Amino acid sequence: MSNSTVALGRRAFLARLGLLGAVGAGGLLSRGALAAPAANAQTDALPGLVALLRPVLAELARDTLNGLSVFALPGPDPYSAAQGTPSDTPGAMEARTTDFLIEALDNFVPFPDQLARPAGAALATGLADTGIELPGTDLLPGELATLDKALAALLENDATLPLSFPISGLLNLLATQVNPLAVNGPFLSPFARLNYAEKARAFELLEGPDSDLVALLDVQFPEPLKASVSGLLKFVGGALIEFASFGSYTEYAVFDRGTRQLTGRPVGWQLTGYQPDGPVEGWDDFIGYYQGRTEVHD
Amino acid sequence: MRDVIVIGAGGGGPVVAKELAARGLDVLVLEAGPRHARPREQWTSFENDANNPLSGYFRLGPTDRSKPAWFREWSQNSFVWQLSGVGGTTQHFYGNYPRAYPGVFNDYDKPDRAEYDINHRFPFSYGELVPYFEWVEATAPVMTAAMGTKEAVFFRGCETLGLPVQTTKTTHGPSYRPQENAILQPGGNAGRTTDTNLLTYPNATGCTFCGYCFQGCMRPVGAPRNQFAKRSTDNSYVPMALTADVWAPGGRPVELITDAYVTRIHTERRAGALRASGVTWRDNVSGAEHREDAKVVVMAGGCTENPRLWFNSGLPNPNDWVGRGYTDHFFDWVIGSFDDYTGNPKGVGSSARLDFPPYGGLENVGLPPALNAFATTLSDSGIRGQYANGRGPSGPWDGPAGRVMGPELKELVAGGLDRLLCVLVITDDDVEADNRVVTSALPADENGPIPKVTFRHRSRTARTTRNREFMAGKAAQLLRGAGAKKVFRIDWAPLILHVQSSMRMGESEQNSVLDPNAESRAVKGLFIADNSALANGLGGPNPTLTTQALATRTAEKIFQLHFGGDPWVRAESPVVSTDPRISVRLGELGL
Ligand SMILES: Cc1cc2nc3c(=O)[nH]c(=O)nc-3n(C[C@H](O)[C@H](O)[C@H](O)COP(=O)(O)OP(=O)(O)OC[C@H]3O[C@@H](n4cnc5c(N)ncnc54)[C@H](O)[C@@H]3O)c2cc1C
Ligand code: SF4
Repeated sequence: MSNSTVALGRRAFLARLGLLGAVGAGGLLSRGALAAPAANAQTDALPGLVALLRPVLAELARDTLNGLSVFALPGPDPYSAAQGTPSDTPGAMEARTTDFLIEALDNFVPFPDQLARPAGAALATGLADTGIELPGTDLLPGELATLDKALAALLENDATLPLSFPISGLLNLLATQVNPLAVNGPFLSPFARLNYAEKARAFELLEGPDSDLVALLDVQFPEPLKASVSGLLKFVGGALIEFASFGSYTEYAVFDRGTRQLTGRPVGWQLTGYQPDGPVEGWDDFIGYYQGRTEVHD
Repeated sequence: MRDVIVIGAGGGGPVVAKELAARGLDVLVLEAGPRHARPREQWTSFENDANNPLSGYFRLGPTDRSKPAWFREWSQNSFVWQLSGVGGTTQHFYGNYPRAYPGVFNDYDKPDRAEYDINHRFPFSYGELVPYFEWVEATAPVMTAAMGTKEAVFFRGCETLGLPVQTTKTTHGPSYRPQENAILQPGGNAGRTTDTNLLTYPNATGCTFCGYCFQGCMRPVGAPRNQFAKRSTDNSYVPMALTADVWAPGGRPVELITDAYVTRIHTERRAGALRASGVTWRDNVSGAEHREDAKVVVMAGGCTENPRLWFNSGLPNPNDWVGRGYTDHFFDWVIGSFDDYTGNPKGVGSSARLDFPPYGGLENVGLPPALNAFATTLSDSGIRGQYANGRGPSGPWDGPAGRVMGPELKELVAGGLDRLLCVLVITDDDVEADNRVVTSALPADENGPIPKVTFRHRSRTARTTRNREFMAGKAAQLLRGAGAKKVFRIDWAPLILHVQSSMRMGESEQNSVLDPNAESRAVKGLFIADNSALANGLGGPNPTLTTQALATRTAEKIFQLHFGGDPWVRAESPVVSTDPRISVRLGELGL
């Protein structure tokens, strides 16, 4: 593979992750920060750049998960509107589903490091070229190379890579597979730019038995982990939808951990009419015994 | 040296512990998870606080909720819903206590005999288990379920199906009925008011219809622990085991240690035979390892953990059946949307059922909003109207099966959760060697290599698949009969919570781990007393009653074979777990 192909492949890949959108004009990281030539970046500038990159990745992950949250429960917010399913009643953004997901992914999913690390590495080095034509970006080759190096340094060396990042990376890759135009537009995340049907299509790719993406990612793992990873991805596909839906309808956003009380009425309760007068000790719904029978015997 | 060590304080372990404590044996119970001794301070009844599988107070993990849960691998879209802690997974069960169908035992000779999983029957007769069913039914105690609106709606649907009402404990054929439940019937104000002030014990006794079963039962307020409505083992068998000295002549209370993760079973060779000699367990808090020896070791860590512990202990597996033959009732979920009030989600999670041997069964289920959303999105058939993931079956429900999610779910619940009625489809599923637990290739955790649960749900046997389709169709028919305006089938991905038979007992040495006494064939003095010991999926009935009946029988076998004692179930009468002597003693113990 020639150098230029690699560069092109990496550029496409970074764009698809949503990273190029987050950098440069109007982005979270200025082009100036990337000005240092790639060669030097190895030494002095890189640690600083990695530190700058970390919050960018966190923002990107949040934006991506906003796109997932409203997929589970649309509401009166811009993400739902962009998805083409606007709604007058509260939705996942009001239920703080994104926070629910980030907290779960980053703090509580007992995802072994030995798996998170290769997953990060796969995103750092893998998926060079899937032959998808992408609109250009305004980064110069030198800037791009620096960014790429910083990303690789972060993904491969960071012992505590938050799981929300590889998960959003996955969703954004799928998003740009479904609709290459999603590399540009409002929001940071390509996934968040998709409409509802396109998001569904992204999940179809993830859940499907023969997802190319699964096969591609598998390449990054040694056996016997390899087989586990493709199975896990199928699980992840389902779990993201199920967990986002579950979270959206819980009391998460209005639960005070200190007092173990609610500070407001959960969105899920508003939408479903659950417990109109708040928590109960019991209901007056006892009708009697079917056909008057209170016990049975052989 | 202890007489008996029981590993796991879930649905099965405490039964053996309580029975042998009553015989005066020295019993140690080791439980990997927490003990919720003060539920009013530790629980809330809120869905995320309770049921978040990663951080909820009900999860598979250590007491310290700031530490991650224990990771399990499953390599398909599925969910294994198992809890750690005293009470185990019964902490959020519904207390449905139907007996196993007679057709799954080896003496069954009715005309439909061959329609069951005849290669994996119980190695004894239904009649053999009846005294043990009766013993558990009296102990728990099991009662005919009270009816709320959601039951009345379910029965209205059943009445259109041309089936009889079952009025016996034993299921003789297709029929419907209120559940026989391990739930105390409502007494006093319970079920008759929403006024919190009137719902305190003893003005209210039994089930208050709060609808929080999945979040744990701590009602009525002020009741002693052994008088809470739902008979999860933390309310029934564990209190009995801890107080055996006050209700059993010559009884000796068990010692219960929590946050104690058993990582190894030890064996030794005696007179040419391999025998269990003790266990090593790890303290979740300090990380310290402890070793205890015992004459008999009883595994009751559940269907997923027992095979793991077996493998990690390096125990022999001569016929390669350890972890195999896992059954899960291959559930499905069908929802009806009504114009009128359905009572969902009030009262016990489920109080009505329909049995349809040899296909399986149905039960109504009431769920709060978040679990409802989880239940409508756990599908193997993609998203309705978007993609079908290669499946999306159609039938007497509306449109193709699949997830009801996003805007469609929002619209569905907008009429109110209490305009929905959900039906759990329970399949009589075959024991299949390839549905199993193996050691995961993923990294070990602090307790050793972790288990991986594999269900080949897309290639289950023809009989299992037929049964599921048949029962899903019946569910839709039932809901329409009850007046549902729209009916949705989700086509659930495996939701593995009726877990059975992964360390099964069997007639043949070729395909079973346990002999008919529930003693392992390979290691003497090593018994199994939880759902994994069951020979099969029981034909569809919820497993806990049968597990507890079998565990009671196993306790007798242990006492006879290893301690030279006499059996008692046919000779004595059981003490009910709500006995006031137990309440008083619990009070003295500060429990
Ligand atoms: C929502 C829900 C509803 C249900 N409703 C019903 C119902 O209505 N009726 C019914 O019959 N069944 C029901 N079930 C199933 C029921 O919960 C199980 O049948 C029952 O809990 C199984 O008991 P068990 O002893 O096999 O396993 P568990 O109850 O899972 O107990 C295993 C215990 O062992 C502990 N353990 C595991 N490994 C170790 C180790 N190495 N060292 C120490 N301890 C260990 C675990 O922490 C756990 O406490 C329901 C389940 C769920 C999830
Ligand atoms: S509904 Fe009844 S059994 Fe269930 S938690 Fe409430 S009081 Fe307990």
